[in-house]
Amino acid sequence: MLRKLFIFLLPTLVCSALLAEAVYQEPEDFLSETFAGKVPEPAVIWLSGERKAVTKQLLGHRYPSLRVRYWRDQQRSAWILEEIGKDLPITIGLVVNDGLLEQIKVLVFRESRGWEIRHSFFTDQFKGAQLDQSNGLDRDIDGISGATLSVRAMKKMATLALFLDAELRKEDVAPTP
Amino acid sequence: MSRQHRRKQRPKLRSFYVWHRYMGVSAAIVILIVAVTGLLLNHTEDFQFDSDFIQTDWVLDWYGIEAPDTMHTFLAGDRYITLMGEHLYLNRREVKGSYSQLVGAVPFDDMFIVAISHGILLLTARGELIEHLQDKDGVPAGLKQIGIDADGAVVVQSSHDYYQPDADFIRWKRREQDSSLSSVTWATESLLEPRLKTALQHHFRGEVLPVERVILDLHSGRFFGRLGPWIFDAAAVLLILLSLSGSWMWLRRRR
Repeated sequence: MLRKLFIFLLPTLVCSALLAEAVYQEPEDFLSETFAGKVPEPAVIWLSGERKAVTKQLLGHRYPSLRVRYWRDQQRSAWILEEIGKDLPITIGLVVNDGLLEQIKVLVFRESRGWEIRHSFFTDQFKGAQLDQSNGLDRDIDGISGATLSVRAMKKMATLALFLDAELRKEDVAPTP
Repeated sequence: MSRQHRRKQRPKLRSFYVWHRYMGVSAAIVILIVAVTGLLLNHTEDFQFDSDFIQTDWVLDWYGIEAPDTMHTFLAGDRYITLMGEHLYLNRREVKGSYSQLVGAVPFDDMFIVAISHGILLLTARGELIEHLQDKDGVPAGLKQIGIDADGAVVVQSSHDYYQPDADFIRWKRREQDSSLSSVTWATESLLEPRLKTALQHHFRGEVLPVERVILDLHSGRFFGRLGPWIFDAAAVLLILLSLSGSWMWLRRRR
């Protein structure tokens, strides 16, 4: 009986998860919009050594890959990051301009709850956010009841994008002679 | 109330006591299970019941969970890359994430390049995921084969053409279908060592059933089979009757 229940439940859960996926904007379109159609060549930043340790500290777990792709035009960088809300990854597009968060947008939402984080009343709180000295956001972000885990994922991705952008800008600074 | 009437009431109350006790004892085990599992369910995240999986064989057998007998394996250098269900393994080590349709795998520098139908995985020698390259990253769609050419470069065959990545696997360019393609050694499926196969099947079973699922089934009675929910329903009815009979007896005694 349990076997039958399991066989019945598994496809149901998988189907409901697939149906729950909502693509609000394709990552390619997000990049094209961010760079007004002139998307720069992608580059990668490696999460190794100290960077890996800080990333783990920021997220509370290891980032699923060892290198992260980004697109950069002068002081502006765009990131497409993924973080699990409760069970499934949320794809988030972020733009950092000179160390300040210019835009954060939910591109693909796969969870069954917490989709409210895509609304501008929530994402607008992140505009202009930057890292404080302890690698946290410099402001409090009001949560959304019933979307606690999605809000947490969004905050983590904002912090990670700002941290990685800061790492890129560190590399820009030429060593003093 | 007369003394005679009170005498008549006493046996009635005593029989209620007896029934009350029997109902309590009958429901006790089920109520204990419901109470304990209820407490545990309130703290699934604290105890990580949602991310921990049952490893105990008899529970997995009870649920009828079996590892798939068919799996796809490629020998890349001296390592086996295996896809079982949606789980990908580099030898015995599982690669994080869920994947489908393993196309091939090849060793490249100190990495392993794994082609799946909808992307390329770059793995370290320890099975850590460096990057999962997808269509949006320029990976050709509909991968059919992956191989290494005479110069040691990675080549993939997509549904339409042959492609080659740059040194960092960031850009992909079309590869001419000339004679150099004949030098490509394409990855071919191989058989998994029996011992490794058994180990992976054991690991697979232990990654399917979350602890939370079992606690939920214990809480609802479903764990105990078809009759389980009915037994738990009966216990719930007994609990209702217990509260009513208890309250009634308490009120009678006060009078």
